[in-house]
Amino acid sequence: MKAFSYVNPANERDAVRALSPEFEKVLPLAGGQDLLARMKDYVTEPDRIVNVKNALDATVTSMPGGGIKIGAAMKLVDLAEHPQVSKLYPAMVLAAGEVGTPQIRNQGTVGGNLNQRPRCWYFRNEEFVCFKKGGNQCFSPAGENQFHAIFGSGPSFIVHPSSLAVPCVAYNATFRLFGPKGERMVPASEYFTMPTLQNVRTENVLMPNELLTHVILPAPGTIKSGHYEVRYKESHDWPIAFATVLLAMNGDAVRTARVVMGAVAPVPWRSEAAETALAGKTITEETAAAAAEAALRGAKPLSQNAYKIQVAKTAVKRAILHAAGMNVVDVKTI
Amino acid sequence: MASKDDKPGGFAFSRRDFLKSAGVVSAVTAATSPAESEAQTGGVNAVGPGDVPVRLTVNGKRVDLMIEPRTTLLDALRNRADLTGNKRGCDRGACGACTMIVDGRAVYACSTLAIDVQGKQIRNVDGLATPAGLHPVQQAFCDKDALMCGFCTPGFVMASVALLEKHPSATPEQIRKGLDGNICRCGTFSRIFEAVSSVKGVTRG
Amino acid sequence: MASPNEPQGQPQPQPPAQGGGRGQGPAPAPAQGQGGGRGQTPPPPPADPKYHWTPPHNSIGTHVKRLDGPDKVTGRAKYTFDINRPGMLYGRIVRSPHPRARIVSVDLSAAQKAPGVKATLLWRDPAETQRNIAMYQGDEIAAVAADTEERAIDAARLVKVDYEVLPAVIQVDQALAGTAPAVFAASGPAADNTPGTPRSNVRQGQTQETGDIAAGFKQAAQTLEETYSTHVITHVCLESHGAVCEWDGDNLTAWVSTQGINATRDGFAQGLKIPASNVRVITQHMGGGFGSKLGAQDPQAIICARLAKQANAPVKLMLDRKEEHLATGNRPSAAARIKVGVTTDGMITAFDAETWGTGGAGAAAGFPLPYIYQIPNRRRTHKDVFINTGLQRPMRAPGHPQGSFITEVMMEELADRVKMDPIEFRIKNLPPEAPNAMWASYLRQGAKEFGWDKRHPTGDPAAGPIKTGMGVAINTWGGGGSQGRAHVEISSDGTVVVRCGTQDLGTGTRTLVAVVAADTFGIPVSHIKPEIGDTVYPVSGGSGGSTTAAGISPAIRIATVNALDALKDKIAPALGVEAASLVAVNGRIQVKDNPSKGMSWAEACKQIGPQPIAADGAWQPGLSSVTTSGVQFAEVKVDVETGIVKVTRVLALQDCGLVVSRLTAESQVYGGVIGSLNFALFEDRILDRNTGQMVNPNMEWYLLAGMSDIPKIDVRLIDQSERGVIGIGEPPTVPTAAAVALAVRNAIGVTVRSLPLTPAKILQTLAQRRA
Repeated sequence: MKAFSYVNPANERDAVRALSPEFEKVLPLAGGQDLLARMKDYVTEPDRIVNVKNALDATVTSMPGGGIKIGAAMKLVDLAEHPQVSKLYPAMVLAAGEVGTPQIRNQGTVGGNLNQRPRCWYFRNEEFVCFKKGGNQCFSPAGENQFHAIFGSGPSFIVHPSSLAVPCVAYNATFRLFGPKGERMVPASEYFTMPTLQNVRTENVLMPNELLTHVILPAPGTIKSGHYEVRYKESHDWPIAFATVLLAMNGDAVRTARVVMGAVAPVPWRSEAAETALAGKTITEETAAAAAEAALRGAKPLSQNAYKIQVAKTAVKRAILHAAGMNVVDVKTI
Repeated sequence: MASKDDKPGGFAFSRRDFLKSAGVVSAVTAATSPAESEAQTGGVNAVGPGDVPVRLTVNGKRVDLMIEPRTTLLDALRNRADLTGNKRGCDRGACGACTMIVDGRAVYACSTLAIDVQGKQIRNVDGLATPAGLHPVQQAFCDKDALMCGFCTPGFVMASVALLEKHPSATPEQIRKGLDGNICRCGTFSRIFEAVSSVKGVTRG
Repeated sequence: MASPNEPQGQPQPQPPAQGGGRGQGPAPAPAQGQGGGRGQTPPPPPADPKYHWTPPHNSIGTHVKRLDGPDKVTGRAKYTFDINRPGMLYGRIVRSPHPRARIVSVDLSAAQKAPGVKATLLWRDPAETQRNIAMYQGDEIAAVAADTEERAIDAARLVKVDYEVLPAVIQVDQALAGTAPAVFAASGPAADNTPGTPRSNVRQGQTQETGDIAAGFKQAAQTLEETYSTHVITHVCLESHGAVCEWDGDNLTAWVSTQGINATRDGFAQGLKIPASNVRVITQHMGGGFGSKLGAQDPQAIICARLAKQANAPVKLMLDRKEEHLATGNRPSAAARIKVGVTTDGMITAFDAETWGTGGAGAAAGFPLPYIYQIPNRRRTHKDVFINTGLQRPMRAPGHPQGSFITEVMMEELADRVKMDPIEFRIKNLPPEAPNAMWASYLRQGAKEFGWDKRHPTGDPAAGPIKTGMGVAINTWGGGGSQGRAHVEISSDGTVVVRCGTQDLGTGTRTLVAVVAADTFGIPVSHIKPEIGDTVYPVSGGSGGSTTAAGISPAIRIATVNALDALKDKIAPALGVEAASLVAVNGRIQVKDNPSKGMSWAEACKQIGPQPIAADGAWQPGLSSVTTSGVQFAEVKVDVETGIVKVTRVLALQDCGLVVSRLTAESQVYGGVIGSLNFALFEDRILDRNTGQMVNPNMEWYLLAGMSDIPKIDVRLIDQSERGVIGIGEPPTVPTAAAVALAVRNAIGVTVRSLPLTPAKILQTLAQRRA
């Protein structure tokens, strides 16, 4: 990796002052599980690194009126083992517990997970100068796209790499961003951006001199949460597809549902069609399958990833069954 | 088994000789390299990109180094302090051979900057055994033949120690999940699982 | 021309079905050493009966803990990667990012001026027309050495290489179809710059034919025509390839991560044009090789030595993970278009195959086919396909996992055609049973233990998305060796040193040395000091082809028996007995039928005097043998809604003659099974189909099983002690992949005819059936 200077601020104000408005000239370092690998692979070559672990909050705080605030520097392991979060937002905890490996969860942070760059192998190998590295093409449509997006129409076909982003969108999280002009609040659903030729080098609205400092989750109310992830390897691997499903019930029937998929699109992919399909229904294997069908309607696979449609359907179906407290069959547990 | 380095051929040398040549400083006397001006960093001190003094606490001992901020914890210990017990396998946080315990938690030392872990308690495999003998995890690995080439072993041992210090009576599920961050290419997993399952008496860390 | 059954670069046993090493019975037949040297000198005479492995054994066959276990678990064991020398520099190689490119110019000046740089060198000189084309991504161009590793990497990136990117052969299909750019010589290995050479990218092999194909198909009631294939994987040794080189005048000491210290010494001598006697190679511990570290003249080792010479300082040059994937070998792909005929009662009568595979930019890709099973009438034509990737190297049982997968899937499809139990069908088509061909017995024994009677026919009828299935496959391997020499010394204080110029890849060779010696002397293994991994010790063979145990054990046995005889001669007069009446057992040397007449080992050694007893031994036939057989069963669960496969159980039955070191031998079987599981499910070298560059040169997208992916594995070592020592490193990694693939087939009711068994492929195959 290229040599860099290092700043270790003690608060968010100083941290932001050490950043730069120039793209990738100065980068914040949290757990480092993504950034250091990217720097070693010369995908990213910042001049300066700002350690934000001492500058940002790493705790969970209860909000007045219900809801919680999660500090961006909180380690994933601490989130995965947090009793209060587990009780109120079980999908957050499940998602955090599925990230990477124990070592990655011990180092990786909430903010780092949300802001990590794509795992796309074209992006990660310096030989391929793709859109995201200032080039003029995405190599995946004509190349090896078995793990790429099945929703969206380019110009980049990455899938968003964050496990937490999906439940964050499902739970209607708001992200607190802090920059030179102070703070701003951005709903998770607006934070992640579909690629355009103008914004393709980034995956979200965070400015180079801003930090994501907190994830604010509103009071969940009485909802049921489900989360299901399909991984090729059961040990360390990236999900082929996963889903978070929230159900607000009216007796045995679903009043409203929230269905969000991960690893299928450049952003967490909410399916209102699936939500509509669930409304008013009692959850059975059949209604769950029908909603899953609806969720994947309109998917546009690339040359080698049509199988992801089936995988994503299964993830949605099983997340729905999981939310409903029904038995979810699984090769891991059967 | 004794190292053969000093057998015929006369290659005896002391660890001190290497350390001298590797830029380890015994006391922090060297000046910091010219850093960026405070104006550039918004009033917060920046250090580097050249060598800067970094003080680590490794296996309870102070290690003072002059290294660049980009130096990883793994490289700092292996290349500068001759603490070569933990290995570099993938250098990208996937194989786990570099696993060390920092403030009680298993981490990938290849994906940790040395400068970032100043003031923390760092344990690597070189410091795990005591003069009284092997750590129970190390002993179990030997007893069950939970190693072949042994290159992944230091990482597996440290990951297992961290796991058992967190869950002294770990369930099979906890052991599996707890060791999912390490890869053994020789394929000793079955016996590692057996070894870790057999360990008794690790106290909560 | 090499037979397609013999993968290039690896001494290769013929599978018994092809006649190699069959029916030799117990040990005495001269072992067909696979460790090289075959046909060079006449074999030594058979070993005197006094050297035979006569029971009872003191330590042979017992569970002896790995001797270097404590060194490895504490981090004290020094691997090449761990060698730190005073004033040591770090080397770094500049490699081609392109699959094929002419090196137009190389500008080292910026690198030379970079901080800390002490040496630079040009490996591919643009002026040398025979060498100035990089033939694969990762091909070596230049190198630098600097005072820190970070600065060496910085400097390497400052080397300015001007490439003229040339058309490359990227896809095997295109090479076969003739639609790829013509890059390679039609006759064989790359001759990229040779004008006038006919080019075709494909080396057409000879057709091998036995029996009468037409008659065979006439006898058949049914024929099957299918295409099967396996993919390219890489070795991923956890310790990368590399060396630490230090010069003292004209003498070079090199710590190298190698499977062959002596070949590496010769490689340095040739590559650097210095006498071999000036070179010492040390490999005390090494982090895995799997066949990829047999190369005697690996560029990185020669480069390291040259950088060290130039800088006049020790240099460490260890490759990184990406370089490992690109440039240090791989298991070639294999494919076969097969037509096969079978009678209604399950006899295979005819087999006709076109086969091909790629070993990269100029290396062969052979594999045995059909694998083991006997087919009277058969024909096979093989093509080596050249593409612009790194060259293949032997990888744990070269050719066999490929041949096994292709053959066994075919067998299972045939068994279903004739509605026979797959085990009975296999037994019907096996060669006759012999000590080195015990498959029928192992199949029956294993079926019973595994619960084969609970296996349902193809396609799990159970409701729900989780389907269960069982599969089975068989293996063979040579495992003989002949390249061992050993020196033993017994001192008057009772200590024993055994010196042997072999190396321990992680297989447990160091422990094996001590077990053999301790067994002869009747003393605990802990009393033996094995000294290996250094070219100052008696020259032994490289560790490839599972030849080490069978190569060195006889040498150590002979040396230790000679030493014991000398010791007996020393003490016999004091005891007033004939030396020949003495035996060494339980820490004593005593009269065989009168234990009270004798003395302890310590007392006996006190008679030795100031000059230690020294004795030598060299391999002789009669103590080792060749050719193993084994069988593996696998059980899987498949989620047909996600395509995810979970292997739940594996049972491995494996013989390897006389089991010397039981604990480490069992570990080899566990490791073989897991390696093959990786081949079946996870590993895949993925090249971008347009640029030819590898997209997953890491350990994140190059998938390898972790703890949660490991099934319950039961290992059954079958003792055949009368056959003498046979290696076991390779055979266990042959059949698991096929057994897993067949278990998947048994579970889901459709056949996936290529590896790896990805969710994509499984879902696609299921969808095709529905359509």
